[in-house]
Amino acid sequence: MIVQDNIPFAIRHFAPAQLREALRKMHLIRLFEEGAEESYMRGLIHGTMHLSIGQEASAVATCMELTDADKITSTHRGHGHCIAKGADVGRMFAEFFGKETGYCHGRGGSMHIADVKTGNLGANGIVGGGLPIAVGAALTAKRLGRDDVTVCFFGDGANNEGAFHEALNMAAIWKLPVIFVCENNKYGMSTPATYATAVPNIADRAAAYSMPGVTVDGNDFSAVAEALHIAIARARAGEGPSLVENLTYRWRGHSKSDRNRYRTKDEIEDWMSRDPIARFRAELIAHGVLDAAGAEAVEAEAKQAVADGVEFAKASPAPGIADVTKFVHAEEAA
Amino acid sequence: MNAQTQITEVTPSGETREMSYAEAIRDAMAIALDRDPTVVLMGEDIGTYGGAFQVTLDLIDRYGPDRVMDTPISELGGAGVAVGAALTGLKPIFEFQFSDFAALAMEQIVNQAAKLRYMLGGEAAVPVVFRMPAGSGTGAAAQHSQSFEAWFGHVPGLKVVQPSTPEDAKGLLLAALADPDPVIVFEHKLLYKMKGQVPTGYYTTPIGKAAIRRTGSDVTIVASAIMVHRALEAAAKLAEEGIEVEVIDLRSVRPIDRDTIIASVKKTGKLLCVYEGVRTLGVGAEISALIAESEAFDYLDAPIQRLGGAEAPIPYNPDLERAAVPQKADIETVARRLAKGEV
Amino acid sequence: MPTEVIMPKVDMDMATGTLAVWHVAEGEAVKKGAALFDIETDKAAMEVEAPASGILRQILAQPGQVVAVGSPVAYLYAEGEAVVALPAETPSAAPAVVAVAAPAAAPAAPAATPSQTVAQVANGAADLRATPVARRLAREAGLALSNLLGSGPRGRIQRADVETALARREAAALAASAPVFAPAVQAAPDEWTAQPGDLHVTTRKGTGTPLVLIHGFAADSTGWMALERALPRDLPLIRIDLPSHGRSPLRRLSGFADLAKTVVQVFDRVAEGPVHLLGHSLGGAVALAVSDIRPRQVKTLSLLSPAGLGPEIDGAALNGIARASTADSLAPWLKRLTARPDGISHDYAKAAMLARIDPDLRAAQQEWAQVLFPDGVQAFDLTAALERVTAPTLMIWGRDDRILPWKQALAAPGEVALHLLRGVGHVPHMEDPDTVAALLGRHMK
Ligand SMILES: Cc1ncc(C[n+]2csc(CCOP(=O)(O)OP(=O)(O)O)c2C)c(N)n1
Ligand SMILES: [Mg+2]
Repeated sequence: MIVQDNIPFAIRHFAPAQLREALRKMHLIRLFEEGAEESYMRGLIHGTMHLSIGQEASAVATCMELTDADKITSTHRGHGHCIAKGADVGRMFAEFFGKETGYCHGRGGSMHIADVKTGNLGANGIVGGGLPIAVGAALTAKRLGRDDVTVCFFGDGANNEGAFHEALNMAAIWKLPVIFVCENNKYGMSTPATYATAVPNIADRAAAYSMPGVTVDGNDFSAVAEALHIAIARARAGEGPSLVENLTYRWRGHSKSDRNRYRTKDEIEDWMSRDPIARFRAELIAHGVLDAAGAEAVEAEAKQAVADGVEFAKASPAPGIADVTKFVHAEEAA
Repeated sequence: MNAQTQITEVTPSGETREMSYAEAIRDAMAIALDRDPTVVLMGEDIGTYGGAFQVTLDLIDRYGPDRVMDTPISELGGAGVAVGAALTGLKPIFEFQFSDFAALAMEQIVNQAAKLRYMLGGEAAVPVVFRMPAGSGTGAAAQHSQSFEAWFGHVPGLKVVQPSTPEDAKGLLLAALADPDPVIVFEHKLLYKMKGQVPTGYYTTPIGKAAIRRTGSDVTIVASAIMVHRALEAAAKLAEEGIEVEVIDLRSVRPIDRDTIIASVKKTGKLLCVYEGVRTLGVGAEISALIAESEAFDYLDAPIQRLGGAEAPIPYNPDLERAAVPQKADIETVARRLAKGEV
Repeated sequence: MPTEVIMPKVDMDMATGTLAVWHVAEGEAVKKGAALFDIETDKAAMEVEAPASGILRQILAQPGQVVAVGSPVAYLYAEGEAVVALPAETPSAAPAVVAVAAPAAAPAAPAATPSQTVAQVANGAADLRATPVARRLAREAGLALSNLLGSGPRGRIQRADVETALARREAAALAASAPVFAPAVQAAPDEWTAQPGDLHVTTRKGTGTPLVLIHGFAADSTGWMALERALPRDLPLIRIDLPSHGRSPLRRLSGFADLAKTVVQVFDRVAEGPVHLLGHSLGGAVALAVSDIRPRQVKTLSLLSPAGLGPEIDGAALNGIARASTADSLAPWLKRLTARPDGISHDYAKAAMLARIDPDLRAAQQEWAQVLFPDGVQAFDLTAALERVTAPTLMIWGRDDRILPWKQALAAPGEVALHLLRGVGHVPHMEDPDTVAALLGRHMK
């Protein structure tokens, strides 16, 4: 019994295959972003991108219990959410390379990555842009009598947008099946959450909207999964929204143009020593879900997927210039 | 004597110095902070980070966090705080990280800042400046690349300027700050690195006055922001073919310099408007209409032409992105056809 | 009494006007001097002001209707004034509607592939396209846009087209007053009426059978001025500007037959009943061809130094005139036209050059020279036609003609009356208009 109690929630709750898949996705996110970063530096990718390296547990654990019918709204830092929700990295790379085979047919790029078929309603260039949209998606589920839920990812910076407050209030008064997941990585761009936000924890704000709010270690896969398990159950039971705050950290700069003048090297290194992937992997090995060789194989699989994805993207065609106004409106019936 | 409202003169030295467009804006803000204690800078990440485009770099070190204020990511609230502060005696320069995010603050800009003086029968003033990095060309896609000048140009009570050179970037910003009413300054992201000679010290560039950047007798191009440079390149190319293009830098969308445009069109009889905002209902529509309504109409020798942004959001793919806004080659082609009477 | 609102005459040579638009609706009040309606003449659109204050009633002409000058188009009544019935019998009551302007048929594409410079579409009044500045310049100068060629897309008249036309008009006026061939006085301008159609045709009213005049290569109708003075005042005249000449549209030519066909079409329209026909040089050849094709329409035929009667021609002079782009390069060739070269002053050459200022016109005429006179040879032979002509024919030739040798006159059959003038070159109607007029007068009797 004592042993049982020491086993983390995730190990108890999910089948080994699910856990293995979770580890694969976390590796996939890391490798995908490293690959994207490299391609960016080689000039293959246009614009900018926001990497979530260091935040993989938050993305994957949050999406653990979601099906394709469940929705997420994502953020500018959304690659992890997209992969966690089941997207194909080949089509993601293709999007980054501006190709017609990309998820947005080359129109959106990194900041608008989406996969509507797996329930990802899209990353967002507007901080806080997804918050009310998630509430709308939850309203649909409730009105149409479906039991799917919506997870709304947002950052610590976004919780100071008016949209955050308006959205949480409506979700609460209408008891909508939505879970607000704040990925508190301590900074909104360069601005510390401690400076920009009047309360110590974002989750404290839940009280203002009469919903449960919890703060968890966002680099602890199991802790996140457990918090979401409770919130999702509550949402599916028709009891309304919850706010979950995942404390985490982005290893890289805010975007590709960050000069890192607001964080210390020590702070970054400290957080790098709390790598969520290494931690989860060690946990799986410790609890016998995988052995070291098995974990290596999982990582190798992810590596292969990334390599294949880049090849697919490179070989894909670019959209035609004449189609610059395509997708502005519904296409005329042929 | 209230020290808070005392203006310290920073006289122009008569000298110029090479500066980038971003440096010129920073210089203007530093001068403003030096000469007027009521000036405050507000915006997201304008402190230590130096702003998304590094325009406010180091200002926090020189003036401290009370005058260079990082705001939370709260555009509506932040802009509104700036409006309220301006209404009561401060002179805020509020930076939107990207002009696109002004959409979140539309309420405070359009319903409040623009109208307060009027609604209160002239009893109140809102001398606020909103700085807005705008335009495409950086691969930032649909929500970070827009050109909203026509949106704000549509609102009585606002003034809207679009500097195209480092000198004007500084002079127009200082003019905006000296103006008793709200002024929106659109800064083109692709111009931040552009260098030019900039007068040192304090000076203002008049709002509402266009600049003739090149004289010519065959075709008038009225362009704004980055398009001025594309038009000038096209004009240089056309000059080799014997086509003399007059390039007018609009500089101010509201108020618009009717006289300069009308005089030029009366001279050339041909007008091409080049602007980055979406072509339909854009700045070029206003310029075309003012010519059609003016005495210059009787001097037109060809249909007025507009080159503007595509009827689409700015796409991510770089080739599509280029195709979505006028490029030098487009300007050259249309101006040539106009000059040759082929339009 | 209601005030009559009429179609006013607003232009020298205006007989009718098209009512374009009413600015005031029937039953509405209007103040004296306010814009009441617009008219379109063949020159320009124009606003007509209300002749009195009152209420507009009894609109007789609708937009698009062509109304004779002086006809009533509506009446203005005072407030409360009883409306009187329109005197239906009185001819002036109903507007003299000439025609309802119909959109002109699309101009037929020329058979030859049009070159950018030559193939241009003449502007019909109904679908006239002109830029605002072209309209303004034409309006200010009293120039009929419908007579102009548009060099812009879809035949749009642009500033340059009007300027060219104005330069030509000015040159023509100068030429007319030039000391050499023309008398000092200019014709009263309202003597002439422009006729709508494919070619520029001007007519002068008079009594009796009209005389149709066809000018020579690189000339135009204004060249007849001296002869017109010498002819009886009441002789009705019809002057045709050949294509690519004077104020007619520029047109490519496939050969002489093409030219003859074009002129016959115009001739059919302008000559109602048999006419006297006179042509000079290339115009003489055309007149001869017209007489051959329409024998019953030609009462008498007169030919001044006609082309088409032999191979020789001074090709260098023709090309030189067609090509010359300055007065200095034109003058030496002009001197070849006359037996008195000193009469060609520099001012005269300048004026003549102004009339040819349009580079497109010159290019077109150079092409014509290639087609009609390749290698300096007359490529068409009308001696057989001259044999067939039934109308009494008069031929006048200068003995000092250096363009077409007078000996070609000997190709004429015996019935042709032949006059060889001494001390006269290639342009007898300019060099000795009185003699030419006298001979014509006798011939046409
Ligand atoms: C409305 C709006 N304001 C500002 C920005 C610029 N911006 C993009 S991301 C970002 C920081 C967001 O911080 P946070 O919500 O904590 O997300 P994180 O980047 O830390 O993941 C800012 C200011 C934006 N995209 N949208
Ligand atoms: Mg953050």
